[in-house]
Amino acid sequence: MTSGSENIQPTRGELLKLKKRIELAERGHELLQEKRDALVTEFFDHLDTLKEKREKVDEEMEEAFEDLIEAKVVSGNLSLEQIGDASKRDIDVDVDTRNIMGVRVPFMEVENVKREITERGYDLQETSPKVDEASEKFEEALQAILELAETEEIVKSLAREIEKTKRRVNSLEHVLIPRLEENKEYIEMRLEEQEREDKFRMKRVKQKIESQET
Amino acid sequence: MDEDEFLKKQIKNLNTHLPKKRNTLEKLLDMEKPHVTNRDGSDYRFKKSELNYLSEIISEKEYSKLRLPIMIRVSPQLGRGTSKITGKIEKKVVSEILDKEREKGEELLIYRPETRKIRKKLPTTTQYVFMISGGR
Repeated sequence: MTSGSENIQPTRGELLKLKKRIELAERGHELLQEKRDALVTEFFDHLDTLKEKREKVDEEMEEAFEDLIEAKVVSGNLSLEQIGDASKRDIDVDVDTRNIMGVRVPFMEVENVKREITERGYDLQETSPKVDEASEKFEEALQAILELAETEEIVKSLAREIEKTKRRVNSLEHVLIPRLEENKEYIEMRLEEQEREDKFRMKRVKQKIESQET
Repeated sequence: MDEDEFLKKQIKNLNTHLPKKRNTLEKLLDMEKPHVTNRDGSDYRFKKSELNYLSEIISEKEYSKLRLPIMIRVSPQLGRGTSKITGKIEKKVVSEILDKEREKGEELLIYRPETRKIRKKLPTTTQYVFMISGGR
């Protein structure tokens, strides 16, 4: 970026070009400001959601482990391991991306995390109800953990984009627009000066012609 | 790159996240992975839970009229923090969520707290559009 007005041609054409550039820069500045504001709003809203989801995960994990301990007491370690093996399965996590104002963020849709009691694969007659309770709590916690991961990544991506957009807004606001305005003022001043010089010259010529005529 | 060119590119890039063509709720509800294709070629996915929510607040007849994502049009000319929703059904959906009395016409002006509410309720089925020229 050049500073000052050394390389500027003080012509009307240049002034017109400069006015158009200022208009473009101001429009860009306003739009980027709107984008920054919207990003900041999104960021804080997702941050609130993140907090809520984190609390939910903590709560659900705590409850799940409490139930697990109780299930261990009732059924014993070995039996629980066998139940765990019997109820193993894959979870369908649909992972993709979506876009928030140009920011690529993860998209996650989780299905079949929570199962019906009969779908867990172990013998209901031989296991304690505490095992069912613990299983249910862990399934709920797993669902919450996956949702938390998605939100956490969104928050990080938004924070990065806010930084970038802020830098662009600031460079327009504090560097480009003031420089263009400065150049515009310089040309306007030079043009006014030229106009004054021309007027003065014309006056002198007129005076000369008049004195020659008399 | 010339700084004017750079700035023009920045302005142009503000909307590359928008879909080439929006899809109706009716079609999206039928898709296994509901999505539209963006101008930059990437896919944009919708959450099924949001589509189901939308299908509950409008009548079945209107499924083929609601195009998604709903555009939240941001324009500096509208004033900072003000956005516009256009389209009859889109306006109906937004008014319903905001519990706002519907004005006549196909446009609805919403303000930042309302935009937040809409975005919170419909994070994947709404998108911001930055209006480059004119906003009214």
